[in-house]
Amino acid sequence: MNRKLAHIIVYGLPLPVMLASLFIGPTGHITLPDFLSLFYKKLTATSFLATEAEQYQSMANIIFNIRLPRVLLTFLIGAALSTSGSVLQALFRNPLVDSYVLGISSGAAFGAAFAINYAILPVGIAAFIGGALAVLCTFWVAGSKQQASIVSIVLSGMIVSGLFTAFLAIVQYISNPYKLQVIVQWTMGNLHTASWTEVQQTWLPVLIPLVLVFLLRWRLNLLSLGDDAAKAVGVNPMPDKLILIGCATLMTATTVAAAGIISFYGLFLPHIVRMLLGADNVKTIPGNIFLGGVFLLIIDNLARALFVFEIPVGIITIILGGSFFVYLMRKQKLNWN
Amino acid sequence: MEAAVHINNLEFRYGKDNVLEKATAAFPANRFSVLLGANGSGKSTLFRLIAGLLKNYSGHIYLHGKESAALTYKYRSTLMGFLPQFHSAVFPYSVEEIMLTGRTAFSRFSVRNSDRQLLEKVLKKLDINHLKHNTFTKLSGGEQQMVMVGRLLMQGPRIILMDEPTNHLDVYYQQYLMHQLKEYSASGHTVIAIMHNPTLAYQYADNIYFMHEKTVSGNNHASVPDTAMLEKIYGTSFLDVRQGDTTTVLPARLS
Repeated sequence: MNRKLAHIIVYGLPLPVMLASLFIGPTGHITLPDFLSLFYKKLTATSFLATEAEQYQSMANIIFNIRLPRVLLTFLIGAALSTSGSVLQALFRNPLVDSYVLGISSGAAFGAAFAINYAILPVGIAAFIGGALAVLCTFWVAGSKQQASIVSIVLSGMIVSGLFTAFLAIVQYISNPYKLQVIVQWTMGNLHTASWTEVQQTWLPVLIPLVLVFLLRWRLNLLSLGDDAAKAVGVNPMPDKLILIGCATLMTATTVAAAGIISFYGLFLPHIVRMLLGADNVKTIPGNIFLGGVFLLIIDNLARALFVFEIPVGIITIILGGSFFVYLMRKQKLNWN
Repeated sequence: MEAAVHINNLEFRYGKDNVLEKATAAFPANRFSVLLGANGSGKSTLFRLIAGLLKNYSGHIYLHGKESAALTYKYRSTLMGFLPQFHSAVFPYSVEEIMLTGRTAFSRFSVRNSDRQLLEKVLKKLDINHLKHNTFTKLSGGEQQMVMVGRLLMQGPRIILMDEPTNHLDVYYQQYLMHQLKEYSASGHTVIAIMHNPTLAYQYADNIYFMHEKTVSGNNHASVPDTAMLEKIYGTSFLDVRQGDTTTVLPARLS
């Protein structure tokens, strides 16, 4: 594809889509011109009627207290998932992994549910511990050797993911009905509960890893060639790998704590970015941050606007990601060596 | 003469199998040395030990007089580069991107302009300028090999270890690469290569070493082929072919 067009898509879309998203939703009848004319009237204060003032108040309330936090949270989550997927694919040298496949999401979900039920730890921290535990298990089951094959990593990820899902089910089973409802609602991967509280809890633990990954993005090229290829040119891969896996785990755990499990998104978005921008991680990491953010926002907008009821975004990403991979496999664009 | 790589009483085992027993050798600095040996004789293991990819050995490895195990990665990156026998890239990087990874130890967070200038030089030196923007994973085995050699030259360490550098190369690039390696060693670098082709080795190398019976022997000046030793380690006969004042060694046909 034309590189210029690709850049316009990746870097040009976010702002307009974020703006447009503020005016999409079930409440309807809030259009940008309406809002702007009311806003203008309010500023100039000529003949601002009481009804108009009330109308403006309710519009502003919906836009700034309901939709804006949701737009920001969705963008953060999309960027976090797609960037951690991209990082994990490079580190595991495997185009078929993301934080869901490696079990990080399930581990984080178990940790978070445990924290909701027993209130020993803050939910975010428990989610991170669960996610880190899961990725360590996957590493261990796969044999931890650098030569662990694509299939063995995917398989061990499935096993670990299954185990933590079972643990999650146990927590659900023994929790009281009130807490059960909270846990179940939140594991489905929903963005409709987004509020400024979630944005406040999410932005820092997503932004810090994003900045770190952005700084280390060139080194990902070397790391993705394998440990031996790094040591061969005098680079010890371990510190970078630990930092980057830590970043991916923190970002994933944060998104899980805020919006539940959104599966497959981190798996297919990096492929789309690679198709658009090439394989060089210097370009794909910013690409994943921007396109990852905006694409989830588009999916969420569709989920809100297309149906009378709102479909959880996690279900749409599974459908999209699944069909995308069927396409890739049929076209034999994946190397199964 | 100063030894770039000096191994002393090196012993290593994979599980119960002894791979190296009391191996002692000194590879001189600023020379092109070649290590010959039969399949499975432990050449690659020796190189992986020297390159620091394998640990748990007993004995000593000195790089320019310094104990290898005590070196920091940072210092080691200026001292030693290694070309593994196999390469695999999963993602479709361009040749340019692959070669620039050779600079990661020095330009820590992003590619510098000086790296790009160096890239142009190395591409020209190896005669692979035309591959610059190609996708690495779609190249032929020989082309990939030249790119990986280039990646090592990008790092530019004082000692280069190469496990079968002429692997997959056509005759032109075999001769071309050997010539370049010889020139590279003459410019103040040490090149040590594992090879499977005694003919090529004797054409270009300054020193020839043999891996035999779990240890390293040799340090013969390469202008005189040691046919007897070759016959011993490979178990097949060799012919000396004299052409003017140079002698080439060729494996004889089995009959």
